[in-house]
Amino acid sequence: MVFGITSVVLIIALNMRLTFGRYLSHLPEEKRKVNSENFKGYVRWIVCWKKSFLKLSRWDRCLNYLIAWGKKNYPGWTVWVFYALVLSYAYLALSGLIFAWFVPRGLYGFPLLLHVAAGALFAACLSIILFLKARVYLPEKIAAGNQSQSRPDFYCPLLNKTFPRPYLQAAAFWTFAVAGFLLAASTLGSMLPYFHYPAQIFFFNLHRWSALASVLSVSLSLDSMIE
Amino acid sequence: MERLDENKIESRKIAGKSLWSAAFLVLGIIVFIFATLNLSRLLEGRNSKKSGPEIKLKVEEKSDWSGSQVSPLHRIPLMDEFNQKIVPAAPDSLPFSTRYTCAPCHDYDKISGGTHFNLRQRPAVDRRSEPWFLVDEKTGVQLPVSFQSYPGFWLPEKLGISSWQFVTLFGRNLNGGGPGEPTTEEQTPDSRWNVSGHLEINCLGCHNKSPLQDHSEWVKQVMRQNFRWAATAASGLGEVIGMASRLPATWDIIDGPNPDDHEWAVVPQVKYNQNLFDSRNNAILDLPQPEDSRCLACHSVSPRQAKSKAAIDRDVHLQAGLKCVDCHRNDLSHEMVRGFEGEKLSRSSLKAQDFSCAGCHLGQKPEKGGYGFTGRLGAPRPAHKGIPKVHFERLACTVCHSGLLPEKEPQAVYTSRANRLGIFGKARWTSEYPVIVEPVFVREKDKKIYPERMMWPAFWAKKKGKDLVPIDSQEVLAAASEVINLKENVASLLNCLIPLAEEGFYPAVIISDYLFEPNVDGGLDARPLEKTTPVGKAGKDKFILVQVKEAEIKPLLFDFNPEEPPPGVEDKILNLLQNLKQLAGGRQPVYVIGKYAYRITEGYLDKAEKVGEPAAEPEIVWQEKENFLPLLSDFQVRNLAALGPGPEILTEEQIFLVLKKMSEVKPQPEIVYVTAGFVFSLGKEGKLKASRHPSAAAISWPLAHNVRPAQQALGKNGCTDCHSLSSKIFFGKVKASSPLKTSYRESKLGADLMKTGPLFQFLFGFTFLVRPAFKLLLAACLLLMGLILLVVMMRITRKIAGFQEGQQKPESRS
Repeated sequence: MVFGITSVVLIIALNMRLTFGRYLSHLPEEKRKVNSENFKGYVRWIVCWKKSFLKLSRWDRCLNYLIAWGKKNYPGWTVWVFYALVLSYAYLALSGLIFAWFVPRGLYGFPLLLHVAAGALFAACLSIILFLKARVYLPEKIAAGNQSQSRPDFYCPLLNKTFPRPYLQAAAFWTFAVAGFLLAASTLGSMLPYFHYPAQIFFFNLHRWSALASVLSVSLSLDSMIE
Repeated sequence: MERLDENKIESRKIAGKSLWSAAFLVLGIIVFIFATLNLSRLLEGRNSKKSGPEIKLKVEEKSDWSGSQVSPLHRIPLMDEFNQKIVPAAPDSLPFSTRYTCAPCHDYDKISGGTHFNLRQRPAVDRRSEPWFLVDEKTGVQLPVSFQSYPGFWLPEKLGISSWQFVTLFGRNLNGGGPGEPTTEEQTPDSRWNVSGHLEINCLGCHNKSPLQDHSEWVKQVMRQNFRWAATAASGLGEVIGMASRLPATWDIIDGPNPDDHEWAVVPQVKYNQNLFDSRNNAILDLPQPEDSRCLACHSVSPRQAKSKAAIDRDVHLQAGLKCVDCHRNDLSHEMVRGFEGEKLSRSSLKAQDFSCAGCHLGQKPEKGGYGFTGRLGAPRPAHKGIPKVHFERLACTVCHSGLLPEKEPQAVYTSRANRLGIFGKARWTSEYPVIVEPVFVREKDKKIYPERMMWPAFWAKKKGKDLVPIDSQEVLAAASEVINLKENVASLLNCLIPLAEEGFYPAVIISDYLFEPNVDGGLDARPLEKTTPVGKAGKDKFILVQVKEAEIKPLLFDFNPEEPPPGVEDKILNLLQNLKQLAGGRQPVYVIGKYAYRITEGYLDKAEKVGEPAAEPEIVWQEKENFLPLLSDFQVRNLAALGPGPEILTEEQIFLVLKKMSEVKPQPEIVYVTAGFVFSLGKEGKLKASRHPSAAAISWPLAHNVRPAQQALGKNGCTDCHSLSSKIFFGKVKASSPLKTSYRESKLGADLMKTGPLFQFLFGFTFLVRPAFKLLLAACLLLMGLILLVVMMRITRKIAGFQEGQQKPESRS
């Protein structure tokens, strides 16, 4: 229950924060404040935006954007690795979260079989992507490439600091990588005949919370991807 | 230089501070995750707790226990049912009454509410246990009877079984009390409680350590309806002769023995063994906690395929030195702990969960892997390595650890109560019916899977609207005895042929590939003929009369010259024909040899020329008017050939004929026969029709023993013990057993009983073929990712330290 509530709250909270920030960035500089008027406008904006997803054209545009982004950032055959990663992760996240939230028994049956199969694909793709892109997201590379960007810096109220967008991208990337690593590790650990029952429970919880971390990092990454 | 060193020291301090910040950040994240995990456990634990604690001992209720762990040697006077002290040396002593003998110290009324005695008052939420079985091997009846109201279990009241009938039918495995001590309202016209006395709670049946305690003696006395004497005889305190079953219904204990009858209707009498009493006529009894043999008399199970006791492994707990009562405990209330998860005791002061599998092996919070003190009674704590937690949520412990190891099909077993095990005497008590199979894995209402024992009811019933109501099998026997008593009739015929057999040989008949011989019970035993016998095998629908002495088989009918018969032969033929005349039923037995026929005419053997062609071989026939009919009818030959050595006892032809006869006698209500998951009735085209009905469905009940050692648990050899393409668990078929030889047998797939799709299990089993490759792939990915992450972590760490150094460099230059 705690996982369900926490995951829903965190995902909604983060996405609200990101979309609110995006909404504010459309406003003139002087009007970028956190007040009720802006919040109402944000709600209207969100509703319109979500409504647009009722149309297939919006999905088409999203897909095209994703494909274009993938081709731009992953040249040659590596783009297929990226697509495989995206598709497998989409299924993993959806199946995992839906069953975790709405089915008391948890993931079972054919969705579980597909989840495991998709997990294998995800692990392989993530390893390749990490191998290809780790250098891009190294701190010195991020600092060196910290140039002009179309969107304002990201302000983190927790640390009371403003971070350049590339830092956010890097943080999202590495969070996703670590979460993916833990997801795979917890899966492998539960399948090995070396760990006793309390360890199985630990792996299960590790898998869940790592999945949540990966979903949050994907939200951050999507925010960074979309101009 | 000094400035440089100072700068270095300064930068190291700053780097150290940064490192500490990073460390605190990491620690904070770990604490957050830890706190969240524990909070979730706490909340889940609160949610999983069911409402209502176990019954608490009332403050004002005093415990009967003295505090000692030693059971005292009992030197106590025995009291009879009139609460008079028994003098063992006195003639015509009455049997002792546990109600008055044990009662001064032990609350009899409180004990009578215990599990073994309160059959009628079992709580509705109590888990299903093995029912009683009403069995009639002649009419093919195996009907589950129980006071528990579950689908497929028949209440005695619904079957018209009174307390008296219940005790006479099942008293062999009753401990007394319950239906054995009926109230005045429960007395029925057929009961003979005044003659037999009540079947009181037999305390000694469980608690007597004496080697003279004999369960078989108890059974013998109960079968003789010597209810009030049974406990005395079974304990060995005295010998009991006489049979209450032969006494008139008006007899009462006050009437005493009948001095005029010392042979037939002998009043039961007790002759006490005075060596077991002291000088003050007190019985000396050693009454500790029950020994295992007392429990196993009624609660043992053995596989049918086991040829000897040595082939069976005992329960691992018994092997480890535990006794049955170490787990299945009770206080004075005698409400036994059964030990299943979720058990609730309503009258006991004990906590049931302490004695379940998890209670001893995992301690507290078994759903979390066990906390606190485990290892009760030396129970090893299971590691359960490599088993995903879903198994502990969806499977009972007994799935992997109890019962027989699964095969392609469940195995047939004998149980003490159903098949009358553990009763010894000259006759063999073990019955072939009912046929119970195990293990069958079934998903129960709590969505957990349990290993169970299963059987298919078989009974004759009348249609009452949409329902089927069992009828007394005696009605069926009375209506169609010549159809039902097939084997008995043939056995009688064969016994009539004894005069023709040589010394030491007995008549038998070869039909198809089997040899049928009469047995001591008046039926037929059949054995397959492995090799070609000297007399050959009978062709289809034919029979050969033979004589048998152990393994030697010879023809029964021998050829001789009827015109010059050897001495003694005609005497044999005369005896034979006289025997057969008693079974003739309007026909005349004839011995035909060559062109002559021997008959009995006016009490004398008459040899006359046979009408028609001479017989090629000697034969015994029935003459009905001008026709000669074979000794065994086509019906008898055909059905015996179909039945063979069994285990079935009825054929479809027999069922059809019985139903037809019953419909002729009484067209309404319609009579049907239920077996193997089908209902057989007369079809419109004059054939037998098989259809489905809920009453025909199989019944099952969870099993818990024998528990196998950990090395024999399912999963010991890996996941493929259960999850594979050819899994016996999921793809094994449970086929209905039946007293009827029929192709209509319900068949259930293991996956269907567990309510899990066979296709899913097939695919899931398939994944285990590629699982090793999957693990290798994951391991390789983890290795690669881990290395990259490690390198990055090291660079970041160096960067954090070096970044501060880099920042300081411009200051140091200035």
